[in-house]
Amino acid sequence: MTTAPRVRVAHVGGYATVQDLGRRGYRAVGVPVSGALDRLSAAYANALVGNRSGDAVVEVFGAISLTLTGDAVVAVTGGHPRVFLEDVEVKPWTPLYCEGGRALRVLPTGIGRVHYIAISGGVVCERVLGSSSTYARAGMGCLGRPLRPGDVLELGTADPASVWNGVADSRPPEELVDAHLRLGEGLVLRATPGVHAHLLEDLETLLRGHYVVAPESDRMGYRLEGEPLRSAGRLGRLPSIPTDRGYVQTPPDGKPIVLMSDAQTTGGYAVALHAIPPDVDLLAQLNPGQRVRFELMSLEEAESEVRSYLERVERPVVRREELEYWG
Amino acid sequence: MGVLPEPRILRSGGYVVHVDVCEELRMDCVEEVHKLYYLVKRELADAVEEVVPGVTSVAVIYEPRRTDGRAVESEIRELWRRRGDVELADLHRPRRFAIPVCYGGEFGPDMPFVAGWSGMSEEEVVRVHSSRVYRVITLGFTPGFVYMGEVDPAIAAPRLETPRTRIPRGSVGIAGRMTGIYGLESPGGWRLIGRTPLTMFDYRRDPPIPISPGDEVVFKPISPGEFERLVGVFVGDYGS
Repeated sequence: MTTAPRVRVAHVGGYATVQDLGRRGYRAVGVPVSGALDRLSAAYANALVGNRSGDAVVEVFGAISLTLTGDAVVAVTGGHPRVFLEDVEVKPWTPLYCEGGRALRVLPTGIGRVHYIAISGGVVCERVLGSSSTYARAGMGCLGRPLRPGDVLELGTADPASVWNGVADSRPPEELVDAHLRLGEGLVLRATPGVHAHLLEDLETLLRGHYVVAPESDRMGYRLEGEPLRSAGRLGRLPSIPTDRGYVQTPPDGKPIVLMSDAQTTGGYAVALHAIPPDVDLLAQLNPGQRVRFELMSLEEAESEVRSYLERVERPVVRREELEYWG
Repeated sequence: MGVLPEPRILRSGGYVVHVDVCEELRMDCVEEVHKLYYLVKRELADAVEEVVPGVTSVAVIYEPRRTDGRAVESEIRELWRRRGDVELADLHRPRRFAIPVCYGGEFGPDMPFVAGWSGMSEEEVVRVHSSRVYRVITLGFTPGFVYMGEVDPAIAAPRLETPRTRIPRGSVGIAGRMTGIYGLESPGGWRLIGRTPLTMFDYRRDPPIPISPGDEVVFKPISPGEFERLVGVFVGDYGS
């Protein structure tokens, strides 16, 4: 009988929370979905350590250092951070066997912004309304706040040796890792028209222009700098409508805000576009100053993209890499 | 402009069907929004993941692997056509909640503004605000924020120009013809006239707030002493 190891948070140089795929069914009482900003990366982190897609992982903006009290299989995904097991540099997007007592360190490189750490067994902490996702603004889910040095997280039971046997040669699809490596080249955010597109006569501005991610971007929303949508200023306040992740709001200053996982459930700003979920995952990976442009897509295309995305998030397919052996 | 003859339906993102029922807030419109909200919840439960009411609209989040937006849209249009066959009260029997509120002073920092705006004394504002039965329009914005209408036009003061960054939970505010309660501490721009000591939102309960769209709310003025005695009582446990 194995006892599950624990995770001790040694250092956080940024903002780290525990997240899963979100809290569904409570938007009608004002509770946002929350969950990983980049769901596909979180799902793959879990797949690489033999967890279920919806298991809780650590999400970190910036650097973090964790120590495990026993052996476990870990994987780091999201962007392309530097990863160390003690002093040995290892790869992101690959299963790692981490011996108890060793430190796992994740350092940002500027490629990607939000990293996911999955640990075999999954993080086990307070579930609120069906999810362990931390919604810090309401102090709910898991610890109800960002992680701090000294925090100890429990893990679900998993036998690290047999997990390792099952996942050691698992790798994510190459095109997913490539997409993360190429984030710096600028992201095309595919979107359908939003709820108020018909009221914004200069919507073209948004589709023609190049935007950059503003520093004031967080789990609620990513603000974009660039040519403002002037018609948004003339609309004033609209009756509050239900909003969702990926809604591109244009407040009276006309500068777009793409709503993220912790966004409020209703809003009174004009919604110009609705970016599709797989592209919102990638937007989450952009650092301030990185470039975005919007591209319109049809409802049918969007629907088919969402279908395949949901399938990949729920059942991430890994490929098997031939392992190299020496000696 | 009241209820639209036909709802305006906008599909977006590959998984959302947004239904505008009217152009602006009016209580006859709110009733239609609620009817559609409860009808969709009841009739389309299989293909629909979540239904979220807004002030003048309803958003339907569907699962595109089980249905498609075109089908959801036509089912919504069909429900709309048949809405006359069903009474709102049969879809949702409204409950009435009494909310004790300590008005003015430190609990309602905008009371002097609202009194000045309406040309009334603070006591009159309290009397006008607490002498109506309000209809719950929707919940949202932040967990447990309750939007209610319709406020007497005499005290329907506009929002703050610049929202406050931190509003204590339980605060009761006015924004034009709506009045609202902040379920949790949050930023916000409503004119604060009082505060309830009740716990409006408790995430360790399910549902975390017993109030639903279409329910009724009456405000009961209380003293600071009563406020102290009632701190922490859950809204669902407070007698009406």
